[in-house]
Amino acid sequence: MKTIKTCLLGAALSLLSPLASAAETGFSLETVDPEADRLALQAYYQKRFPGVPLEDYVNGIYAIDPDSRKQWDALMEFPPYEFDLEEGEVLFNTPFANGKGYADCFENGGIGIRQKYPYWNSEEGTVKTLEQEINECRVENGEQPLKWKRGDIAKISAYMASTSRGKPFEIDIPENDPRALQAYLDGKRFFYTKRGQLNLSCANCHLQGSRIYIRADLPGPTLGHPTHFPVVRSKWGDIGTLHRRYEGCYRDTRSVPIPAQDEQFRKLEYFQTYMSNGLPVNGPGARK
Amino acid sequence: MRRLTTALSAAAVALMLSGPVAAASGDALIEEGRAIYHDKTRGNCISCHNINDPVANLPGNQGPMMVAMKQRFPDKRKLRAQIWDATVANPLSIMPPIGKHWILSEDEIDAVVEYIYQY
Amino acid sequence: MKTTGKLLAAALALTATLAQAQTFEQVFNEQRALYGKGHEFTFEGQTYTTLHPEELEAMAEPNRANAQALIDSADALRAQSAEVGNEWRDPARYIKQARAALAQEQFQQAMNLAARAKYQARVSLQQYEHSRATWHNAVPE
Repeated sequence: MKTIKTCLLGAALSLLSPLASAAETGFSLETVDPEADRLALQAYYQKRFPGVPLEDYVNGIYAIDPDSRKQWDALMEFPPYEFDLEEGEVLFNTPFANGKGYADCFENGGIGIRQKYPYWNSEEGTVKTLEQEINECRVENGEQPLKWKRGDIAKISAYMASTSRGKPFEIDIPENDPRALQAYLDGKRFFYTKRGQLNLSCANCHLQGSRIYIRADLPGPTLGHPTHFPVVRSKWGDIGTLHRRYEGCYRDTRSVPIPAQDEQFRKLEYFQTYMSNGLPVNGPGARK
Repeated sequence: MRRLTTALSAAAVALMLSGPVAAASGDALIEEGRAIYHDKTRGNCISCHNINDPVANLPGNQGPMMVAMKQRFPDKRKLRAQIWDATVANPLSIMPPIGKHWILSEDEIDAVVEYIYQY
Repeated sequence: MKTTGKLLAAALALTATLAQAQTFEQVFNEQRALYGKGHEFTFEGQTYTTLHPEELEAMAEPNRANAQALIDSADALRAQSAEVGNEWRDPARYIKQARAALAQEQFQQAMNLAARAKYQARVSLQQYEHSRATWHNAVPE
């Protein structure tokens, strides 16, 4: 009842605005404007946490919460991903049984390319992630694919990210293929859609809820979210991929989980990483 | 005296509902509500709402603290309705619709209402 | 000008729809939220009680046939929610427990569990429709 009254009041006060604004902000393929979305998100955070430089958002919650930052700085004196990074480099450079290696599968030998992932692949008509192409490289060369969420794939991805540190993300949405924009829009809708028995959207915690306590946890801001993955998360006790985190978040809404690298998660990564365009790669990272 | 009246009214409620609440005394109801409020696998209300109870551990602050409940909700049923579905008042609310999504049973919601209404 | 006129008409039409939008579902939820189970209320001249349809089904005679039927209809709704990609965690758990209870001939227990599963599956489908229609309200401008 109250909602209806508010709606009525809103409608009466500004007869046109609900309809007019829907056209501006872009919720359909015809109207969606990724650049406007990206700037609006930056503006949201700059208003919410004034004085925090945009580049600092690659540090997640530590960009906006000074107390957590102090503990994190201490942790980062000996980054907990150092061994994973070393192992990742060895794995990356170890040839497959057929003599070829990861370097043969990627542009520029796989060095300094993290900032281009995920990308829209027009031939396949889908969003491709770095982890996906690591496994495809293996399979093409007669090796078994790795498990998606932890272990070797995260280490290899971590090494590849480390060779790209400092390069700004440059996610492209090719204009000559409307399916790319649709994938972005699907990812955007996924981010804002409430789901699960707990009726939570990604945005509930990582936009509205940024730096507000849920028990002892401070949800990080969505801006800069994907830049530091893969991460060693103290809660996990080891290194994991972005999709490992996605799966956990999704499960936390009390939904039946969807698997890592599911098309929905890849579209979400496409949207989220586009939102972080211009911010530098800083993976791998460490988080509480 | 207070205890007697609450016990009596609880008994009356139990009679009216013919069964499910099964003669829980007022104090037992409050204790039940308290357990639900702080239990991670049940209500887990403490994850977002602080409350001035010594058992409160690592309270969150996504939602308002549980204070001045009688002033904020002179009608206890309005408080119950807010817990049942907070998205009626605010569709974007992060608070899960505790009753609508049957996260807690109706009896459990009643118990939580009794517990927090003391604060 | 013409566009404005159209928008105005659309806005007014919207207002008209909203004015009659107090559906049975909304009144039911409002009453259940305020009073819990078993409270009587009227809607368009008829008297109802604040029991979910699934709870009413669980009040049928506790026997094998009724328990099986309730479990089957709960699982059908659960499958629908899975199909649209919005399945909640618990319906499948409750259905599994209900089947176990049925195997032990605990018919009432089986029906109660199936009713909760069916209710949650139904609401998860409502949530799916509602979220699809309203997600954009959460986007910062």
